[in-house]
Amino acid sequence: MRHGRYRFLAWALLPALALHAVFVLSPYAQAFYLSLTDWTGVAGNAHFVGLSNYRRLASDSLFLDAVRNNATMLVVVPLATVALGLFLASMLHVGGRDGRSAVRGAGGYQIVYFFPQLLSLVVIAVLWGFVYNPTNGLLNGALRGIGLDGLARSWLAEPSVALWAVMAVLVWSSVGFYLVLFSAAIDGIPKELYEAALLDGAGPWATFWRLTLPLVRDTVQVAFVYLGIVALDGFAVVQVMTVGPGGPDGATEVIGLSLYRTAFTYGKFGYASAMGVALFFATLTLAVLALRAGRKERLELA
Amino acid sequence: MRISRGLAHAAMLAWGVVTALPLLWAVLSSFKSDHEILTAPWSIPQHPQWTNWSRAWNEADIGRYFLNSAIVVGGALVLTMLLGALVAYALARYEFPGNRLVYHTFVAAMFFPVFLALVPLFFVVKQLHLLDTYAGLILVYAAYAVPFTVFFLHAFFRTLPSSIAEAAFLDGCGHGAVFFRIMLPMARPGLVAVGIFNFLGLWNQYLLPLVLNSDPDRYVLAQGLAALSVSQGYRSDWSGLFAGLTIAMIPVLVAYVAFQRHIRAGMTTGAVR
Amino acid sequence: MSPSPTRRSLLRTAFTAGVAAPLLSACVTAGSDDDPKSQSGAKSADNPFGVKDDVPLEVVAFKGGYGDEYTKKAATAYEQRFPAAKVDHKGIQKVGEALQPRFVANTPPDVVDNTGAGRLDLATLVGAGQVSDLAELLDAPAHDDPAVKVRDTLLPGVVDDGTFDGKCVTLNFTYTVWGLWYSKSLFAQRGWTYPRTWDEMLTLCESIKAAGIAPWTYQGKYPEYINDPLLSMAAKVGGPDLVKAVDNLQPNAWKADGLKAAAEAFAELAGKGYLMSGSEALSHTEAQAAWCQQKAAFIPCGSWLESEQKDVTPAGFDMVMGAVPARTGADKLPVAAVLAASSESFLVPSKAKNRAGGLEYLRILFGKKSASDFAKTANTLPSVGGALDGLTLSSGLGSVRDAVTAAGRNTFTYRFRTWYAPLAKAVDDATGELVNRRATPTEWADRIQKAADAIAKDSSVKKFTR
Repeated sequence: MRHGRYRFLAWALLPALALHAVFVLSPYAQAFYLSLTDWTGVAGNAHFVGLSNYRRLASDSLFLDAVRNNATMLVVVPLATVALGLFLASMLHVGGRDGRSAVRGAGGYQIVYFFPQLLSLVVIAVLWGFVYNPTNGLLNGALRGIGLDGLARSWLAEPSVALWAVMAVLVWSSVGFYLVLFSAAIDGIPKELYEAALLDGAGPWATFWRLTLPLVRDTVQVAFVYLGIVALDGFAVVQVMTVGPGGPDGATEVIGLSLYRTAFTYGKFGYASAMGVALFFATLTLAVLALRAGRKERLELA
Repeated sequence: MRISRGLAHAAMLAWGVVTALPLLWAVLSSFKSDHEILTAPWSIPQHPQWTNWSRAWNEADIGRYFLNSAIVVGGALVLTMLLGALVAYALARYEFPGNRLVYHTFVAAMFFPVFLALVPLFFVVKQLHLLDTYAGLILVYAAYAVPFTVFFLHAFFRTLPSSIAEAAFLDGCGHGAVFFRIMLPMARPGLVAVGIFNFLGLWNQYLLPLVLNSDPDRYVLAQGLAALSVSQGYRSDWSGLFAGLTIAMIPVLVAYVAFQRHIRAGMTTGAVR
Repeated sequence: MSPSPTRRSLLRTAFTAGVAAPLLSACVTAGSDDDPKSQSGAKSADNPFGVKDDVPLEVVAFKGGYGDEYTKKAATAYEQRFPAAKVDHKGIQKVGEALQPRFVANTPPDVVDNTGAGRLDLATLVGAGQVSDLAELLDAPAHDDPAVKVRDTLLPGVVDDGTFDGKCVTLNFTYTVWGLWYSKSLFAQRGWTYPRTWDEMLTLCESIKAAGIAPWTYQGKYPEYINDPLLSMAAKVGGPDLVKAVDNLQPNAWKADGLKAAAEAFAELAGKGYLMSGSEALSHTEAQAAWCQQKAAFIPCGSWLESEQKDVTPAGFDMVMGAVPARTGADKLPVAAVLAASSESFLVPSKAKNRAGGLEYLRILFGKKSASDFAKTANTLPSVGGALDGLTLSSGLGSVRDAVTAAGRNTFTYRFRTWYAPLAKAVDDATGELVNRRATPTEWADRIQKAADAIAKDSSVKKFTR
């Protein structure tokens, strides 16, 4: 039996571990080494250059544009998505807080809201490219239709609005998923708590802040981490939809796009790896901050 | 209460319109002629152009891309579920030295940006002579989907009662038999949920095929659509592009509507944990 | 794969070739040095390479956007010429993958159409001595006109495009020219004439605008499209020296008078509101469609535009291409000069068993008959001069032919795009800003010069000169 146990464990773990080691762990590990070389893809021709790739990053204006844009996205996309998701999720339950079930049609709404989550970001980007078309797109058409001609613009070609147009797409595509997630979390809150709040005379606003939000805090925290990862990416939408892509003049450049271009158009694989490592540390910092913030709040609560 | 309920309905309807409108517009446009799309983007198609769909499927190669996606995602999904379930089960139900290490080795990878691995991954796949092959894409897809699968199913296997498994062991069942005949069927709800998530994630994958799969004959759907929308020098085919978008949207939307209970159940499990 | 050598596909090709190079070089240098004797017979006036009648010929063609029908036709013609020879013709898509091992084993085919994303890296092949010098072919009598040498039948720039380290090793079969497109019927109806100078252009734009049509649109999502007329104009002002200075990354090359004058011209075009509003966000398909609907009068594009727009061009639109107008009266190149480049690259491996047959096959392929058959079916200009003579052509292709004829030897091409992709990106971004009036011509020149200087002093970038 004991022998069979180890044989089974080996049989269960080794194939997956091998796959993991070859295609996941080894590339991650190699990236750190490559980032210290000037490799251009020519076999056996990688010279160790120390930290010079990183020094170069610090003065690469396009990369700095990308960092700035990803930082903006990191603040805006999770906040906007969580806010909208929470708002709509609590709207779904407004009718039900006095003990009855959620608003009529809530199930149908949730199905529709979830749709964007199902589509490839490529499909979404192609679609929104048409929505943003300055001459006959859906958005300018709608604005002109309701007499707001002054607001119609070249959404993707004006440096001051292009990044916001990109972020709107990311928010649009993620809200549905988090809405359904938050809605499920709210469903899990015991009804008695709401009845008690109602008896205390708390309005819907107070109920949301004092009751709902604290009780779905864990879910919101998970949402922030995942949305942070989404905001640090943005590659597919930018690459397919924006001017240039990444433009106008770097206005929508993201780190992933810079990395992809540097590696697979310019053939500077060492330098591109340095960008990957920089992105890794950004992600790591984000995760640590999110976890520490969560822990601190929990301590304060206790 | 009445006012806020009215507000709730208004807000939900507004977001519903914002969500559905671009999708509906794409579907409608797929029935229009190029001329209609260019001159009257808002109108209802005068004469539904069913040929857009057949043209997109055949001439714009959406059919081929669809098949490529089906092969790659199908293969990767089977591999992911098999490996992921085995690892999750082994880690959740067996104590052995290094158990936590193996678990964290898998789960940590979930939080690493794929971009970090992208450059070396390209060369790893190249050295294995797997660039531009179905096998290469299937292996890489599976490798990157296994961590989430392990993470999700690990918790699931832990919650399963051990009495039945113990009874089976007493009956002389081997470890493999217990896994396949008893534990796997018991874990079915979790498997379905994680399977759907993996399907969605893999079906919509873009970055990995973009880098590892440059042969237009093997383009997956997302890649093919991106190429179709930016290709220069070929004949422009607007209506065909919209038909292609619609063809790409339909299977996932249908799958979702059919499985949405499982998805919500899966998300609740994930959220509660 | 793209039937026209757009910048996008060229860049992509350059990249793939760069990545494929190391493996090939490793293998090529490892190959043994035995040189299989190529079989050839007696040379004569109508058999200039001494092809032996009974030796088989193997042709490997790229089957891309143009198909491989034209290479098959040339194979049939070869078999008719040498009835005892069997031609083995293969149309494939990944040339590099299929042929790399055969080059290593010294058993390459006799003719290779080295095109497409998966092509062999030419520099590596040349370095390893694997490709024939085509001088013999260039100096042989042309297939359909023995009075002329092959060299003299080719359009300007084709031999240069195939020259590596001073040797012409490959010949490109198709020819692309860039210019400004307009609807001949619209211009006739409104009584407009295509401008020959920039001043005429500005005057015309004024009347076009007054008629309620935007004078210009461009493919704003990809600013490289509006670069082409700008850089063409600069090349005309400054002549070949300006182009060379730019490509050779010479100090202050981008601050030359020609580039300054061209940048100012386009800044003025934008400043006077002659660019259709919204163009800056339109993709190539959207901008070109707007132009086909006569929302704008001019659009810059390469000679593939007619085929690209085939399905959305209204009947009677009659699109034609004109050369970019002259900036000044003192331009170094004539107004008819055009930006031109060739692609679809054919070569004969030096270790081919039937090298003479390979050269003979290319002589047939680059003959007038084969080229004109290709033009008829592909609606694309081949790189053989006079191939379109006497054919009834569509308005677009006809105008492309006329532009090439008018240009004569005055064609030019910039190489920095394929040599230094980051510089190309810097130029695109700067030009996008220039024509949206967010950068002045001086700022435009400064920022591009800065990017060029950075590449010039970056030791990790392989440098080229011309």
